[in-house]
Amino acid sequence: MIVTAALPSVLPSVLAVAGSTTESGTSSPEGWAVGLSIAVFVGAYVLIAGEWVHRVKVSLGGAALMLLIGSATSQTAFFSEETGIDWNVIFLLLGMMVVVGITKETGLFEYIAIWSAKRARGRPYRVMVLLCLLTAVASALLDNVTTVLLFAPVTILVCSRIRVRPEPFLIAEAMASNIGGTATLIGDPPNLIIASRSGLSFNDFLVNLAPLIVILLVVFTVLIRFLFRSAFRPVTVAAATEPAADGASGSSGSSGSDSLAGSGGPASGVGTATATAAVSTEAEVMKLDERQAIRDVRLMRRCLVVLGLILLGFMLRSVTGLEPSVVALLGAGLLIVWSGSGPREFLAEVEWETLVFFAGLFVMVGSLVNIGVIDWLGEHATEAVGSHYLIAVTALLIGSAVLSGVVDNIPFVATMAPLVQGLAAQAGGAQAHALWWALALGADLGGNATAVGASANVVVIGIAARQGYPISFWRFTRYGLVVTAITVAISWPYLWIRYFLLG
Amino acid sequence: MRARDLAEPFPVVTDRMDALEATRILTDQALPGLVVLDEQGAPLVVLAASEVLRFAIPDYIEEDPALAAVIPEDEADQLCRQLAGHTVAALMPALDQGRRRPVVDANATVMQIASVMSEQRSPVVAVTDGDEVLGVITVHRLLGVLLP
Repeated sequence: MIVTAALPSVLPSVLAVAGSTTESGTSSPEGWAVGLSIAVFVGAYVLIAGEWVHRVKVSLGGAALMLLIGSATSQTAFFSEETGIDWNVIFLLLGMMVVVGITKETGLFEYIAIWSAKRARGRPYRVMVLLCLLTAVASALLDNVTTVLLFAPVTILVCSRIRVRPEPFLIAEAMASNIGGTATLIGDPPNLIIASRSGLSFNDFLVNLAPLIVILLVVFTVLIRFLFRSAFRPVTVAAATEPAADGASGSSGSSGSDSLAGSGGPASGVGTATATAAVSTEAEVMKLDERQAIRDVRLMRRCLVVLGLILLGFMLRSVTGLEPSVVALLGAGLLIVWSGSGPREFLAEVEWETLVFFAGLFVMVGSLVNIGVIDWLGEHATEAVGSHYLIAVTALLIGSAVLSGVVDNIPFVATMAPLVQGLAAQAGGAQAHALWWALALGADLGGNATAVGASANVVVIGIAARQGYPISFWRFTRYGLVVTAITVAISWPYLWIRYFLLG
Repeated sequence: MRARDLAEPFPVVTDRMDALEATRILTDQALPGLVVLDEQGAPLVVLAASEVLRFAIPDYIEEDPALAAVIPEDEADQLCRQLAGHTVAALMPALDQGRRRPVVDANATVMQIASVMSEQRSPVVAVTDGDEVLGVITVHRLLGVLLP
């Protein structure tokens, strides 16, 4: 918020600052270079936010311009921890993508999802709660997008069995994924960036954020009872196939996702589901054989062992001295060797686009650090904040939440991290932590606010549309705003009590 | 050898036809695919047999094939019920996907026919002379006459 709002007024003063330093004989870049760099950065931000150009193109184009202008050099972009590509973030993502890519082929996630739907005895609300909790836990350990990709198809299957519409379940899962992902260092990309900048460990995240996330998830499970109350009534089979019938005319065979549920007869002319139907939907779920989903039991065990070792490695960083990125890469390597999968298989799930996007972004933000803009902003922010850290925490939490609903939270956090670093250095102690947690909570929870607030939302809406269940921007956002407002409203007293009253 | 020499008669299927009925034609005559004609009798698309399956399979299984295994056997046996009540039009892949139709001209050589089949991954091509459909050439027919 500070960045975008303050930039127009910043420009002349930064030019002046840069001009004066050049005069005094330091090697600072020319004033025009500073102005151009800021223009490139703001332009890139606008393009990413507006989604007019693909974000990978924008971040690479921006980075290229920064290198051309001279506000970044190969030295600052590739080899500097302060101003360059954060290889810890890139390699941690890469390692985890490889591990997930191998694990998802085992059928483990489908197994767990169906198993829990059966434990819920096919009751819609219980199914939703269990699927949301599963998604949240999985998101804390895996990438959010991967998690929703894994759970969305099985969710649609379960919904078709219990004869409810899948859209509310998918929306709730995307939100649970964003909430759950906030709990750990590896749960959500903004947390990776924060961890790398702040030096906060996996355990710091676990101890400071996870308790709050548990509270938020409990509240969330109660909240969805009311938000989606209409979703728990069984629908007629005919109504459930309705959107599919639309889709069938145009898109490739996107019809009748719940055909098998209606195996009692053809889809047409089935009456409203009644109490007897409720009994039969339970039977429909119980008939699924989740064990069949597991393709390779031995590989699954190995994946679980490696995932466990990786987690252990994250937690024991203070003992082993291994960075999370190194742990993830070692874990990925171990699993590659152990599973015997070839490069084509284990690299299949690596999202190169995401990694390249991050790299470009780091170079762009690093350029601003390099030419002193971030320092300048940081000084002013520090000055403005003074010793009013509670106000700073509040502003960070709410400001990040609002902006993350609109802008991709990754570039936002990448920009804010160096700023917050300055503030945190000044604050010290518990309040320094509070600043980082406010940024993480705001950025991660804010992702729920709109349909485009987080990648998980976009992916879920995409899958739903492909399957013939379109979810409109406003339909998602209507629920998203409520969930974001409530989760952020609960986060604030948590931060206040834990880091200001008690800290 | 030209396409007109190889063209064989084919069952007429329109996009308005019942999907189950069309599928039955496919199986009864052991065809690798169907040429779907529009109202005017012009070839609309060649529907490979596997595309009929794609329609019968629920979308979530297409998204995540591991889920195919969890469906109980008795229900899996009912797969084709999905086709009931739909027309052939519902089975056809979206025409806007920039996909070219597997159609060859009556004068096409076997090299051209083979190239179209291979490129479009279609087991059957329609042979046209102007607006008129002369017949179809299946991959078996083509390979049969080509084998030395």
